Amino acid sequence: MRTPNRRQALGAGLSVSAIVGLSACGTATGSSLDAGKPVKGGTLRAGVTGGNAADTIDAHIPVNSGDIARTVNLYNCLLSRTDDYKIQPELAESFEPNGDATVWTATIREGAKFSDGRDITPDDVVFSFERINDPDDPKAAAASFTMLDKVVATGKRTVEFRLSEPNGLLNDSVSEYTTGIVPSDYDPKNPVCSGPFKLKSHDPGQSTVMERNDYYWRKDGGFLDEAAILNFNDSDALINALLSSQVDAIAQIPLALVEVIGADERMNILNSKTGMWLPFTMRVDRPPFDDVKVRQAFRLVVDRDQMIEQVLSGFGTVGNDMFGPLSENFPDFPQRKQDIPKAKKLLAEAGYPDGLEVELVTAPIQSGVVEAAQVFAQQAAEAGIRVKIRKVDATTFFGDEYLQWDFAQDFWYTRDFLPQCVSCSMDESPFNETHWDDPGFTKIVEKARGISDSADRKNLEHEAQKQLYDDGGYIIWGFANQVDAYQKYVGGLVPNATGRPLSGWRLDRVWIGKV
Amino acid sequence: MFAKVIGRRLILSAFILLAVSLIVFGATLLLPGDAARAILGQQATPERIAALNEQLGLNQPAWQRYFSWLGGLFVGDFGTSTASGGPVSELLSQRVWASFILMAAAAVISVPVGIGLGVYSALHRGGRRDQALTGISLVLAAMPEFVIGIALIAIFATSVFQILPAVTLAPPGDPVWMRPEQLILPTLTLVLVVTPYIVRMMRATMIEVLDSGFVEMARLKGVPETRVIFRHAVPHALGPVAQVVAIQLAWLAGGVVVVEFLFRYPGLGQALIDAVTYRDVQVVQAISMLVAAVYVVVNLAADIVGILTNPKLRSAA
Repeated sequence: MRTPNRRQALGAGLSVSAIVGLSACGTATGSSLDAGKPVKGGTLRAGVTGGNAADTIDAHIPVNSGDIARTVNLYNCLLSRTDDYKIQPELAESFEPNGDATVWTATIREGAKFSDGRDITPDDVVFSFERINDPDDPKAAAASFTMLDKVVATGKRTVEFRLSEPNGLLNDSVSEYTTGIVPSDYDPKNPVCSGPFKLKSHDPGQSTVMERNDYYWRKDGGFLDEAAILNFNDSDALINALLSSQVDAIAQIPLALVEVIGADERMNILNSKTGMWLPFTMRVDRPPFDDVKVRQAFRLVVDRDQMIEQVLSGFGTVGNDMFGPLSENFPDFPQRKQDIPKAKKLLAEAGYPDGLEVELVTAPIQSGVVEAAQVFAQQAAEAGIRVKIRKVDATTFFGDEYLQWDFAQDFWYTRDFLPQCVSCSMDESPFNETHWDDPGFTKIVEKARGISDSADRKNLEHEAQKQLYDDGGYIIWGFANQVDAYQKYVGGLVPNATGRPLSGWRLDRVWIGKV
Repeated sequence: MFAKVIGRRLILSAFILLAVSLIVFGATLLLPGDAARAILGQQATPERIAALNEQLGLNQPAWQRYFSWLGGLFVGDFGTSTASGGPVSELLSQRVWASFILMAAAAVISVPVGIGLGVYSALHRGGRRDQALTGISLVLAAMPEFVIGIALIAIFATSVFQILPAVTLAPPGDPVWMRPEQLILPTLTLVLVVTPYIVRMMRATMIEVLDSGFVEMARLKGVPETRVIFRHAVPHALGPVAQVVAIQLAWLAGGVVVVEFLFRYPGLGQALIDAVTYRDVQVVQAISMLVAAVYVVVNLAADIVGILTNPKLRSAA
């Protein structure tokens, strides 16, 4: 764990510019100009809700939004996702599987360096993945690397990932932000960084200041001298800070307030379509949801358009009970719509001619979740389903009974179809909240994930998707947009599909324009 | 006698604090979920929970944790924060000062202003200015602190004017007093909450005193009016007002939580909310003990003021 003297140690490095940058305060400019062309220099102050004394700067155990912001900016991975959720190379020039996808070979980018000027070597990559997969202290990404047998340095710039079973999706796992590359003498309290920024100072739950890492390999960005991540306990204080120009950009604003903030001529709204979903989860192994007709009926009572309108204030896309909307092999099934007579008929066939009563466990785990429960309760009433909403706090929700509720909710960020199945729809899945455990389905997914070319596994994926679409335990009514707000003088923020705020937290592309 | 009263009160206070610590510890045990789950949130896999519990020392039974904490207290060790992994005292030291400054600023402004306005109101009893003051103080007293805070933010920081900062922002490690302009709105909120009570109490007791026989006697004897008021009337009215001031100051210690939340002020209140959310028991206990201690000390001080301003009690002491 951390030492008592971290703050003092880091505080010694505090320079005057950070203080000046953060205190640039008070008066608003009222300018309606755009940020213009990229300008070098300046500090971006980004506000984020959440954060507490347990906040971390460790590359491999991010939990909340601020942790993720730090991880993405301080550490670079071998691969990452583009703004439209395609895999792109980062520290690895290439990452290729062998014929049966049992060995993947990464080639490290020529001249890639850490923030202290040392070369990034294969040994560092090996160390990073051993650290993630440490059996005594598994890190956040460990669940996606259970088949990773060994990581071996095989050349001056090459690393082999040897697997215990074929896996064609390893590039997806390696593109997750939780797999940052750290040096083999990594000290998480005083980190040497591989990302576009390096750490200047960190006060958990309050603020983090990062400065440009001049050794970072990507040369088309890096405009900011410094970026500060500032934690807020609630979104009101966050919005007030933006309106009084104490911060330059804020991550994730309440969707109901988008219009109000957008009406301010000093502000821009960043509206990103994402694959983030807030499903209802029905346990397929427990009554009443063990009867597939009940699950089908529940899916038919949802008025998806109304959900988007009321829960997301219109900032979302309609879902079709199918996750992974940005996958290359996303299916084209007929859009499911509200059909109360059919739902009633299905319920009657399942033995509930007079409707039934269910308890729905909800918690404020993500904005919109509790609202979705309330709207669902209203819609379901039309089909004679009496939904009793049980609202608990987030800690209770994720407590002992998490993944055990008969009927509850959850949220997921953008993932491709197959990795999502591995996370939530198989016997081995760490988050199998619907308790979906179908041997046929598992076989298809296991076969499909051994294939690294997405076109070759299209038919297998469709088979699995059809099964979930017909019989699955999720009600996926929509995908929420990620909406952020920023001052007009901030440039370089573009819509990003990952579901992470402020362009996927890629602050190396951001600049402070002339005002 | 005087020392004996205080000594007895201090011993009693120690027992009160002990009881508070037991209740708070028990209450945190009743909260659903534990620290490891709260910290890891959705990513709580059994392996990671086990690893974190090991690191945090949460595998020990509850009573053992309580007594090791209590033992540490006697040697000035507030224990270890499960969330930060560092000592509680380090986590809180800067926050204690931040909260103290906010409370002290509010008290230093509201007590003299409240007493002054109360006296002024009483002297102009029934007049238009008295009625205006009474009306305003009643309206303010009826409003909760967060309403006042939000209104101030809307007026001075966001919607109407943009002349004052809406929240408190400082680079890591910087104390809050480096940026006095950020203290204005939170302090003003607390002042507007606390002052009306003092005004109303001061006005009421002052009117009573002004009507009493000894003031009439002094006036009849031809003592100048300013001397009548400041030498004879005001000191008499202060005794009861000290009790109200004490209650208000004690309220500040707890009420500051909401105001700190609203202004993102890095004080004890914010730390308390975080600690409860993340089941950081030792931090919750340390802050509860501090708040309870403030209550005890402030009430003791009020009693002392009461004794000092009452000649009968003073000479007895």
